[in-house]
Amino acid sequence: MYSPVTDSTQNYQANRAGKYLDHSLLPPCQAACPLHMNIREYVDLVAQGRIMEALQVIRSGNPFPSICAYVCTHPCEDACQRCQVDKPIAIRALKRFALEFGGDRMIQAEAETRYQDKVAIVGSGPAGMACAYYLRKLGYPATIFEAHSELGGMLRVGIPQYRLPREVLDIEIQRLTQMEVEIRTNTRVVSLDLLFDLGYKAIFVTIGAHQSLRMGIEGEESPGVIDGATFLREVNLGINPSLGRRIAVIGGGNVAIDAARTAARLGAKKVNILYRRSQVEMPADPGEVEQALEEGVEILFLVAPTRIKRENGRLSVTCIRMELGEPDASGRRQPVPIKDSEFNEEFDTLIAAIGQAPQTPSDFGIRVGRGSTIQVDPVTLTTNRTGVFAGGDAVTGPATVTEALAAGRLAASRIDDYLKHRYPLASKEERESLKGDLLPETVEMIRKIGRVEPPILPPQARSKDFEPVELGYDWEDAINEARRCLRCGMGAEILFQDKCATCLTCLRVCPYHVPYLDTSGTIQIPANQCQACGICVVECPAKAIVLRKPHDLRHITEELNHILKSAAESKSKPLIVGFCCQYGLFGTGTLASLWRGAKVGVWIVPVLCVAKVEADHLLRAFELGAEGVFIAACGEQCARENTASWVRQRVEKVRKILAQIGLEPERLQVFVSGTTSEDPTKELDKFVEQIGGLYLASVVMQEVKS
Amino acid sequence: MIVAEQKPFEEIRRMIAPYGRVLILGCGTCMTVCDAGGEREVLFVHNALRLAQAKSGDGTHTFSEYTLKRQCDPEFLDLLVDEIADVDVILSLGCGIGVQAIAEQFPELPVLPGVNTSFMGMTKESGVWDERCAACGDCRLEETAGICPITRCTKGILNGPCAGTKNGKCEANKDMDCAWVLIYKRLERLGQLEKIRRYYPPRNFRAIPRPKRIISKAGFDEGGGDG
Repeated sequence: MYSPVTDSTQNYQANRAGKYLDHSLLPPCQAACPLHMNIREYVDLVAQGRIMEALQVIRSGNPFPSICAYVCTHPCEDACQRCQVDKPIAIRALKRFALEFGGDRMIQAEAETRYQDKVAIVGSGPAGMACAYYLRKLGYPATIFEAHSELGGMLRVGIPQYRLPREVLDIEIQRLTQMEVEIRTNTRVVSLDLLFDLGYKAIFVTIGAHQSLRMGIEGEESPGVIDGATFLREVNLGINPSLGRRIAVIGGGNVAIDAARTAARLGAKKVNILYRRSQVEMPADPGEVEQALEEGVEILFLVAPTRIKRENGRLSVTCIRMELGEPDASGRRQPVPIKDSEFNEEFDTLIAAIGQAPQTPSDFGIRVGRGSTIQVDPVTLTTNRTGVFAGGDAVTGPATVTEALAAGRLAASRIDDYLKHRYPLASKEERESLKGDLLPETVEMIRKIGRVEPPILPPQARSKDFEPVELGYDWEDAINEARRCLRCGMGAEILFQDKCATCLTCLRVCPYHVPYLDTSGTIQIPANQCQACGICVVECPAKAIVLRKPHDLRHITEELNHILKSAAESKSKPLIVGFCCQYGLFGTGTLASLWRGAKVGVWIVPVLCVAKVEADHLLRAFELGAEGVFIAACGEQCARENTASWVRQRVEKVRKILAQIGLEPERLQVFVSGTTSEDPTKELDKFVEQIGGLYLASVVMQEVKS
Repeated sequence: MIVAEQKPFEEIRRMIAPYGRVLILGCGTCMTVCDAGGEREVLFVHNALRLAQAKSGDGTHTFSEYTLKRQCDPEFLDLLVDEIADVDVILSLGCGIGVQAIAEQFPELPVLPGVNTSFMGMTKESGVWDERCAACGDCRLEETAGICPITRCTKGILNGPCAGTKNGKCEANKDMDCAWVLIYKRLERLGQLEKIRRYYPPRNFRAIPRPKRIISKAGFDEGGGDG
């Protein structure tokens, strides 16, 4: 009905809205991530140059982020709203940047044992490792059993080193050791009963999908024919098989690409991939395919082998050409052989990488279903045997590392539920997720900023050895890339509908044409369109609008109060307060000299966009003793258009008041980086000098008066 | 909508000078829409007054804020009971009606106008308002193609245009359209030019009893709108 405002509106608003109000919606990136990582948050922290904090956010959502930073298939990037504007944010590369610059290597993992119930984990792939990690965090003793000599599962024996350097993997495994996970390598588990006999109260079966599928053609058993998983395992374990000069890889998935690129690195002269469909249907990551092509791998599309014959130490492979017919169950068009299109090709080695399946020992006594995968309850991850849980590729069939990590995390909490004899706790109530595409009129107004691709080794340099192909960002590239984030789901909402006078100010000031009047005459600010610039929040004459996560605005008030308090203690005169763009100060660094070169008496309030600075902030700074106040905007490199014009309007309004109070309007200035030829530091120096003069004059005047 | 503008800041300071405890009272309807006295402006005036006080060194005032949905209804004003318990004056950022409503409701409490109530009008664009109605109580817009000569003609004449119109502009202000030219053009477009050929007798300026009162319910005594 009515809208009271108490003495301090800011506090009031905060109280009414709840100090930690967070109405932000789940952004598409986070919704797409199997681990539901808080991507929006850490990308923004990177943009602000707060890398350590970004690292904290990353680590809190992912047990082994550095592994994901190399090999994640980044479904988040595919879901990124920015795809509709230009290109998605390079999230995986930004994560790697945050890990490397934030010093992830130095972070020690800790865990404390709180329970006596031991848990056995069969298999040390990403699911097993994640499960062990979270079980230790929960306080359970955990033992990993691994058949191979080293931990990592597919991370170790499947993924080639040029995609995941082994020292990265080793560092993450080191953390498991630090957390006192008991590790038993070279130990193949043959019976789960035995584990129960050994005192384990629960078992997590995560044995992966290592068994290659057979092509089912004549001559498949010939020497010189090897399956993809075995080939990669041998190479990764240091057994370099002799391949010969001409290699054929059958298949179109990531394993086929990995096998082909690995073969090329082992010195094969010519590597052909034979794929029975066309490039569009290829399940492999398009980026990987492109890199393979750059490295000289040739792909023969719409070709399948029908017969293999070993002659004179070489393989004579009969192939048939295919054409695409009707879509099959997977939605891809079914390849259909073309009659009489057979041809023969000679190869030294043929690598069959047409898919893998789990191979669960029958002695485990757990039920397997379609494609030999272990059958589990999808919510509890329980198998048909009490106390036996399963997850990872063994359950899903070959999938991604991140999905396996998510399965491991879920398993840990389900095992926790099981051991505490309680019903599985419902997973945390999810925030509403952002739905719907950006409207063309919104897209049009969003500043187009090209994606900064992380550098990669040139093809000639990388096909010689197993050095990592993708290199990390440098600081500048990472910041520029992170600043492209649209911060989906954090936008404005009319929190106080009772206050809204439907004055249409928001509709008129929005740079992105987001608010609209619905047919009932109510203003709507669609969350999936709002770009969270905060301009309507500041301009709303009724103060009815807030940001869904009001941190950015509250932050200005808090920082201002904080520095005014500190400044009062320091007693240095004259006091000058500057509201500076945080991105420019610590991110891109164009304003960094203001911070570093700031003279005594200059206090800086970092703000997350100067468009969020209200006239009231400026008045307050003066009231609490500032002799001069300035706003420094990041200017041209801003991710938004024309933010400075809003700043100037508010500055004009305040200057009028200053003049009527008898303060010189020059005491309030705006510096926009890049608009004048002068360096912001010089502008600031001049300003400081000017304020010094005004201050001295006022002191003299006062003395004359008294 | 009623349109107003904030009084010059110096004037506001002069008005509040004799009082100690000042309640700055906003209005959530017209004054919010015309940027003169909504919650944002209440906060702005509050901060500006505190700044002025800090700089002048006379710490005589204390300020509080409140914003009502409307100041022109007694039931809304009832909500102020706690707020005015210990204030010496209300600085109202409501229109002239709001100020008077407060004066009627709280006979013991001084009330000051923080805005100059200017006209009834409409938004031209964000931050720009134009006058459109003079509330004359005798609407002739049917005859003038929906364009009010009383408000929009500088002279307010009923049989226009006058001889001062030039190139469709007013002689009093060359940037302003002549209302009667606008009326002519619109009547022409509507095919109703005969309306401009008629002669409208002078308006009856016989004493219109002010203040007016409108009664929309039965059984209410006729009388002046003087409370």
